[in-house]
Amino acid sequence: MEPTGLAYLAAGIGSGLAIIGGGLGIGKLAASAMEGIARQPNASGDIRGAMIVAAGLIEGATLFALVIMILLVIK
Amino acid sequence: MMLGAFLLTLALAQPPHQEPLAPATPAVAESSATPVEAHKEGAAAPEGGHAAPAEGGEHGGASEVLMHHVTDQPDYRPFGLPIAFPSKHLFFLLVAMGLVILAARLAIASYKDGAPSGVGSVVETLVVYVRDEIAIKNIGHEGAKYTPLLLSFFFFILFAALFGLVPFTATATGNLSVTMALAAISFAAQMHAGISKYGVVGHFKNLVPHGLPAPLLIVMIPIEIMGMFTKPFALMIRLFANMLAGHMMIAALLMLVPLTAAISQTLGIFMIPISLGMALFIMFLEVLVAFIQAYVFTLFSAIFIGMYAHPAH
Repeated sequence: MEPTGLAYLAAGIGSGLAIIGGGLGIGKLAASAMEGIARQPNASGDIRGAMIVAAGLIEGATLFALVIMILLVIK
Repeated sequence: MMLGAFLLTLALAQPPHQEPLAPATPAVAESSATPVEAHKEGAAAPEGGHAAPAEGGEHGGASEVLMHHVTDQPDYRPFGLPIAFPSKHLFFLLVAMGLVILAARLAIASYKDGAPSGVGSVVETLVVYVRDEIAIKNIGHEGAKYTPLLLSFFFFILFAALFGLVPFTATATGNLSVTMALAAISFAAQMHAGISKYGVVGHFKNLVPHGLPAPLLIVMIPIEIMGMFTKPFALMIRLFANMLAGHMMIAALLMLVPLTAAISQTLGIFMIPISLGMALFIMFLEVLVAFIQAYVFTLFSAIFIGMYAHPAH
């Protein structure tokens, strides 16, 4: 295999892994937030705000990984 | 503030795009277009396909069309006008800026006896939301001072993203230089929040909690200084990636039609409703993403400003 081909392969596998991690993280977060809202509907506004902040941070970490994948592809 | 933002963006957006892109494009076209082109011609020729040559003829391979769709182009002529702009994203950045100013002016003009109507009431709802729920809640009583900046972020990102969904346009925030300028302004505001309140020395002392044992400081100080730069970096990447990904998705889904038509014409026709349906779904998702990203960028800027204005003691 050529090195370029390996880089493409790594980018594909890596972005898949990054999405698995990010999806699991945000999924767990959303599940807990839903549970929290179901238990305490009065606090739904606060919970939603906190959820978006945490989701943004998880998304940021995932996007860092994806940037590395883009660098692998365009190198 | 807004004006400063755009001058900075202008300065940043111009130089890096003209040098690397111009020599790179022919090389990419040469290497990637040939195999796909050969394959297309070979497959489509016996059936006398109409779709494949029309779509693939002048543009080259699928990946090149995708990249052409989302990347910046030098010497952009909007809608066939005789004036050439230095770059495509610069033009749409100016359009988004004009829209923000227009919306603000219309909103102000719609006030009669202290009550807004039409555009004004929509803008007022958003402005009050940003002030009360984002600025005051996360920064505290100094929040009012940073509200104009946060509002500029919110409306600029929102308008740039929404305008980018109109066919034949581009999203200015889908350019790394633009988001970098936005993040740099956010970073400057964060530093301003800390320095104006505690002074330069006090601000940097506040980065680590007071009363830590000395060995811990060796670890904490580099981490905190790195964190100072990671925050705006994350803002930059998040906005860029979100704007880029949506447009790439739409373009890729729409390109399923010519790609399958190159294999067989019936398959291509069968693919049209599927492709359009999925592209429409992503389009609706993009409207949602435009609001979410505008909110998230503003919210994170406010949280970071608040973090430096009220450090942990």
